[in-house]
Amino acid sequence: MARVKYLILLVLGALALATVAAGAASETGVTSTQVTIGGTTPLSGPASAYQSVAKGAAAYFRYVNAKGGVNKRKINYIYKDDAYDPSKTVDATRELVSQDKVFAIFNSLGTDQNLATRAYLNALKVPQLFVASGATTFGNDYKKYPYTIGYQPNYRAEGTIYGRYVVKHAPKSRIGVLYQNDDYGKDLLAGLQRGLGAKAGLVKSKQSYNVDDPDVQSQIAKLKAAKVNTLMVFATPKFAIQAYVYARKLSWKPLVYMNAVSSAANIMGLSTAATNKKQTEGTISIVFLKDPTDPAWRNNSGMKLYRSIMKKYKGGNPNDVYAVYGMSVAHTFVAALQKAGKNPTRAGIVKAADSLNVTNDPFLLPGISVKTSATDHFPLDQAKLQRYHDGHWVAFGGLFRVR
Amino acid sequence: MRSRAPGIAVWLLVAAVVLLAYLFAPRFISDFHSRELAGAGVFFIAIVGLNLLTGYTGQISLGHGALMAVGGYTTAALAVHEHWRDVWTIPLAGVAAGIVGFLIGLPALRLSGLYLALATFAFAIAIPSLLKKFSGLTGGSQGLRLLEDAPLQVTGLSGTVTIFGHTMTQNHFLYYLTWGIGLVGFLIAWLLVRGRVGRTFRAVRDSEVAAASVGINLAWTKTLAFALSGVYAGVAGSLLAIQVEIVNPLSFTFLLSILILVGVVVGGLGSLGGMILGALFVQYLPDLSTHVSTAEGAPDFIFGAAIIIVMLLLPTGAGGFLRRLARPLTTRLYLRP
Amino acid sequence: MILAFDWTQLAQQIVIGLASGGVWATLAVALVLIYRSTGVINFAQGEMAMFSTFIAWSLVNHGFSYWAAFVLTVAISFAGGVAVERAVIRPVERAPVLTVVIVTLGLFFVVNGAARWIWSPETRSLPNAFSTRPITVAGVAFSISDLGTIAVSLAAVALLWAFFRFTKLGLASRAAAVNPDASRLVGVRVTWMLALGWGLAAAMGAVSGMLTAPALASFDQNLMQPVLLYAFAGAVLGGIDSPLGAVVGSLLLGVLINLIGTYVNWVGTDLRLPVALAVILGVLLVRPAGLFGRPMETRV
Repeated sequence: MARVKYLILLVLGALALATVAAGAASETGVTSTQVTIGGTTPLSGPASAYQSVAKGAAAYFRYVNAKGGVNKRKINYIYKDDAYDPSKTVDATRELVSQDKVFAIFNSLGTDQNLATRAYLNALKVPQLFVASGATTFGNDYKKYPYTIGYQPNYRAEGTIYGRYVVKHAPKSRIGVLYQNDDYGKDLLAGLQRGLGAKAGLVKSKQSYNVDDPDVQSQIAKLKAAKVNTLMVFATPKFAIQAYVYARKLSWKPLVYMNAVSSAANIMGLSTAATNKKQTEGTISIVFLKDPTDPAWRNNSGMKLYRSIMKKYKGGNPNDVYAVYGMSVAHTFVAALQKAGKNPTRAGIVKAADSLNVTNDPFLLPGISVKTSATDHFPLDQAKLQRYHDGHWVAFGGLFRVR
Repeated sequence: MRSRAPGIAVWLLVAAVVLLAYLFAPRFISDFHSRELAGAGVFFIAIVGLNLLTGYTGQISLGHGALMAVGGYTTAALAVHEHWRDVWTIPLAGVAAGIVGFLIGLPALRLSGLYLALATFAFAIAIPSLLKKFSGLTGGSQGLRLLEDAPLQVTGLSGTVTIFGHTMTQNHFLYYLTWGIGLVGFLIAWLLVRGRVGRTFRAVRDSEVAAASVGINLAWTKTLAFALSGVYAGVAGSLLAIQVEIVNPLSFTFLLSILILVGVVVGGLGSLGGMILGALFVQYLPDLSTHVSTAEGAPDFIFGAAIIIVMLLLPTGAGGFLRRLARPLTTRLYLRP
Repeated sequence: MILAFDWTQLAQQIVIGLASGGVWATLAVALVLIYRSTGVINFAQGEMAMFSTFIAWSLVNHGFSYWAAFVLTVAISFAGGVAVERAVIRPVERAPVLTVVIVTLGLFFVVNGAARWIWSPETRSLPNAFSTRPITVAGVAFSISDLGTIAVSLAAVALLWAFFRFTKLGLASRAAAVNPDASRLVGVRVTWMLALGWGLAAAMGAVSGMLTAPALASFDQNLMQPVLLYAFAGAVLGGIDSPLGAVVGSLLLGVLINLIGTYVNWVGTDLRLPVALAVILGVLLVRPAGLFGRPMETRV
């Protein structure tokens, strides 16, 4: 009798094992040896400098694969060119989903680009993980689009930080804003106004520019004419440097708040060299990644790992802070994949991405953790304030929430 | 009379082959490649239109990408704001772009060559800014998304489309729609070119003074050419919007105008036959370039080098080359006693 | 009413406009040179200038003094321009004009891609030939660099004028452009004249790049793309066959864009460029050959 029972259990167990094994192999993009993920990035055209976000991530995955992968599976990361054109993003993403049969879309770059594919991916229940965009909608609209999640601290939150800081520490400032005329610049501006709250009237002048404008001399002149003493620079590096240079040409030295996209140490170095130490002194910004051109991190173990991976696995130019970002987001994906268990499913990895608690990311500032929950769909929402003093950044204050 | 029969027979054969290829191609290629071919079809329509203007009437335009934007945004705006069925907007998109083309054609009457290039170039540059400015209608820098906001999409999320009781995949539907319209447009252009309109265009291209001296109304001809090519561009833009289900200023930059122009010249100015090759060239080459190498800058380098090499080898484009190939054949056909 | 108007702001915006326009004036002259020799707008002119700027940067980075690097870059660019003409333009010399235009478009991608491949896409800077110390006169601020840039472009125009007018080579070059067949009959090496035109244009482009990079405070591979746009418009406004017109047209365009953006509220900064281009078109409708251009006469 016992033997029969034992036999039945054995058979049932074998059947269960077989079903589990079959089920594991049947999730799209997952085999017993490999997980395939894909994304879009501008490999050609004027935005192609941002491709290091994908290249840094790819190098990190090669490093992880060399150490055996995740749950014995190697990560096969495919990234396709969309030339920063949302209509190409749609085509490339459809190709990834229907031809390459990826497990998830990962690290696609651009706000409009990801918005173009969000409805399609969510309808097909394909995870749209760790979108490389600072737009708030990717963290806010999770009820409507549960398969989508962002990564970096968003622009609106960054602007809010600056607004709140001014209200607290310099409530009599006269603020002027130089901002890029697109979602990125407008989000930062909206955040600033939100952070200023009742004191939104402190903003005396807002000047926008387009990327194909020749220069921002005219805008800076108008800001000075409005008798502004605090300048918010919500601009990409080329125009951020111009802000300092043209202010100096007008013999004008406002206190500058520099947005994170343009605050890398080498950019600030160029600004200082083109003007003088006085012009950039006191600039305030936020920071959440370790800056590869900042000598403070030269002997840091995390950055040493970064440099060795970039070198060994051909990640591209190691001075590029976007590559550091790419490694950080890849590190988080690996954590999510790990959490999704031995037989990851699409629903499973989305659940893992919605319940992250990663505290050991070597590429983020010490103390920053990657956390998400049912009500918090912003994986990175901490940063530190930093002030530019005597030619380099000095972080001050503690970590705070960038929401 | 008898010597013309073989010539006609050859053309009928060519037409039959083309028709068969159109109808049955999707069976031999993957579903996704049907979608890529549909993309080539969009270029094909725009290129045929631009050829009427540049190849046959001799007027240059650097702004046809912007005319595609007019068509694409017309379709998107009607589908999203007015809840039109997306495919019914196609004719209206063509008309809208045709009107804009006509308006652009007006200053062209006083300008020629380089100055016309500047005028159309200015239009191409202005369009993304204008699209972002009037954001109530155009969705600003985010554009319009048909998949989310247009309730009466023929494509949509279902993955299949049912037309006249026949069910097919979305990608096949896009292919048949685009190339069906493309072949009809090609036929219309071919008839126009063979007829009086075509002869008038070519007269204006070859010598405006001579054309005027035989009584051709230059103003009417030039603006007609602009308007016609605009209609084609508008239809192409509309089909693009239907295919990718979004419109966004970033999809209609100056680069698009350049690609259409490259397609026309590579295909062969003043030669309708080469236009398919031109369309395939601009659809597939940028993608192929990224397959050869993804090193920073390499795809652009390869794409540019390919353009140069093709132009050096075939200065009159594929159409010119085909014509040279076909000349012995057609001469023999037409000169039989 | 007159007293309430901010005259200083107006003067400042005009001065800024001249400074901006001065930056793209030299590139406009380069475009004119190509147009006069080959009859097309070289869409790759900006990218060639950008490539030259990177060469200058590399030289400075390897220890050359600024002026040594400057002269060497101009020489290398001249040679490069000649090489490009011989390799890529000469084969299509007799092809339809549009074929040549497409070749220059292909060249645009080739040069841009090459620059991205050879040098990483970081933001860099190039030293300024002139001082950037701010100078303020009657409340209006500018720098020596602004004056220097305009002066260089005017000097280039003067040099070119002298070259075309007073030297044998210049005369041959003009003849080749106007009547190639007759020129050949009198022994002018027409194809080399075209190559000379491209070499001069490339050299001019190199100067343009080396002035633009410090004027715009930093540079990368996208440096000259917006500049090409404005240089093209400025050159056409001034008359596409007149180097002086190219400079004047560029300066005027710079002032126009700034004044429109400052004083026409509806336009703001979003539509400055389209409106400025519309104004240019208006000018062209009245004077189709541009401000300084010679109206084309066609023989029937």
